[in-house]
Amino acid sequence: MTNGSAIQVRGLLKVFPGGLEAVAGVDFDVWPGEVFSLLGPNGAGKSTAIGMLTGTVAPTGGSARLAGFDVATEPLAARRISSVLFQDPVVDRPLTGRRNLEIHARLWGVPVRQIAGRLEEIVEAFTLAELIDRPVGTYSGGERRRLEIARALVSEPAVLFLDEPTVGLDPRIRLELLDVIARLRDRSEMTILLTTHYLDEAERLSDRIAVMRAGRIVASGSSGDLIAALGDQLLELRVHGDPGASLASLARAGIAGRDAFAVGSTLIVPARDRGADEARAAVASTGAEVLSAVQRRTTLDDVYLWLTGDDLVDAA
Amino acid sequence: MATIAAPITDRPRVHRSILSPVATLARRRSQLTVRTPRELLVPLLTPVLFALVIAPALKEALHTSAAYESFIAVGTIGLLVPLNTMFAGLSVIVDRAAGAQRELLAAPVPRPALVFGNLGVAFAVTAFQIAALIVAAVARGIYFDATAGGIAWFLAASAMFTIGMYGAAETLASRVPEAEEYIARVPAIAIVPWFLGGSLFPISALPIGLAWLARFLPITHALALMRYGLLGETGGLHDIWGMASAQTMAWLSLVVVTAFAALLTAVSVRIFARSALR
Repeated sequence: MTNGSAIQVRGLLKVFPGGLEAVAGVDFDVWPGEVFSLLGPNGAGKSTAIGMLTGTVAPTGGSARLAGFDVATEPLAARRISSVLFQDPVVDRPLTGRRNLEIHARLWGVPVRQIAGRLEEIVEAFTLAELIDRPVGTYSGGERRRLEIARALVSEPAVLFLDEPTVGLDPRIRLELLDVIARLRDRSEMTILLTTHYLDEAERLSDRIAVMRAGRIVASGSSGDLIAALGDQLLELRVHGDPGASLASLARAGIAGRDAFAVGSTLIVPARDRGADEARAAVASTGAEVLSAVQRRTTLDDVYLWLTGDDLVDAA
Repeated sequence: MATIAAPITDRPRVHRSILSPVATLARRRSQLTVRTPRELLVPLLTPVLFALVIAPALKEALHTSAAYESFIAVGTIGLLVPLNTMFAGLSVIVDRAAGAQRELLAAPVPRPALVFGNLGVAFAVTAFQIAALIVAAVARGIYFDATAGGIAWFLAASAMFTIGMYGAAETLASRVPEAEEYIARVPAIAIVPWFLGGSLFPISALPIGLAWLARFLPITHALALMRYGLLGETGGLHDIWGMASAQTMAWLSLVVVTAFAALLTAVSVRIFARSALR
């Protein structure tokens, strides 16, 4: 049964041979026209989840539907209405860009008489005219990525998967590609599932974000919702000494809760009406030296580090 | 939140027949193949050398008859087919490691279409190479005694043998992770059976144990059928079956080679579909 969602995932599970649980039974819905990001560190299970949705990874359990079509029992229909941009380059390098686009169009069942027109539109939209009749092996990394995004759109998918679309690109090309993807958001009929470990990407492009850690979704919502979970203001302390002991001291003083965490020698503590001076004093009582202590606004980076890091208060 | 569009309720347009995607995939494979001429030419070199240089030299050195040249010319097809199909199988590994295989797996086409697309091109390239070998042999003065019926036997045998060998190549390519491992196994699959299968001499010349082993090799049946078709020679079939009726023996060998082709194709499709998915 479908609930009108463009992507419906229930208990999706992937255990690789050897027992590695890459995706540990995740559930989520993505609504038509929405941009939804799976955010998480390397190895969190984002690409494996996309692989199961696109039919390139066999699920161990659970179910997934694209526009109502079950990816396991109606795979051709599910694949027909979706396209994917893979994390690594997946192109026929000896062939021209045009030929790569044509092959996609034919395999995805674009009517033959529409293919030439569709290609013209997409070549113009992605400013590929100079490249399109050259072998893809002669493209730069950014050009190849642009071609791959264009290819994914040739079949006018209802659901587009973008798996780490800007990874490995230089900053200028990355920003250009983010502009390209941002323009895709204007196509309100298309649903986009994006995976990334770049927070700015997720924040800029997404309507909702799910943070994955060790194969599980540990939080989801808009970036505002996620930030609200940690509070509007944070205390950031840089210490010289054992950060675990410093956090424990902050917890004993009632300043740090379970949502406090450390990254290296930096402690991040939701403020909750307690000032930086109180925190500085609590840490100093353990003998650790406080190098700096500031109060600042919470960012998505803080939420990400909180959700994907170890729970040091418990450990301490 | 972006605008919420109406959910998709119409069934999308998917390929009704496997033929259309197979044609697209075969065209893709052929375009990739012609951009790497070594795939066309390298497998041809050794068999042509055998047919045009080594067979006449053996005939001269061993004082055999002209029929031996014809015998060897057909025998070299038994080397050409495995070498060429094994080269074709290598492209599956290239596709997986540095090509568009994952894009093809995400396409709305049945997975067997990917195997059949590759098979179609391997078959066409092999047919071209066999034709080139026969033309070269005829130009060198090697004699073939073929009738229309004989050519039909030859075509059936070479077609089924090619399909079966491509199935073996595709299966191996799906099973081994690296090109180096694949290449290391090619001699065992392409060359060892060729020596045992009656390519250079009749299997009756082998020690009795090996002669029995040879009777179970598809290449033995394929070569015996090819010689029956192109040379009108029934010795190979008789060495396998020991019957009086050449037609009966030919049909039995064709059944063996066809079963080999069907089995290996089915196995290759199954192994590909399972191994391509992580």
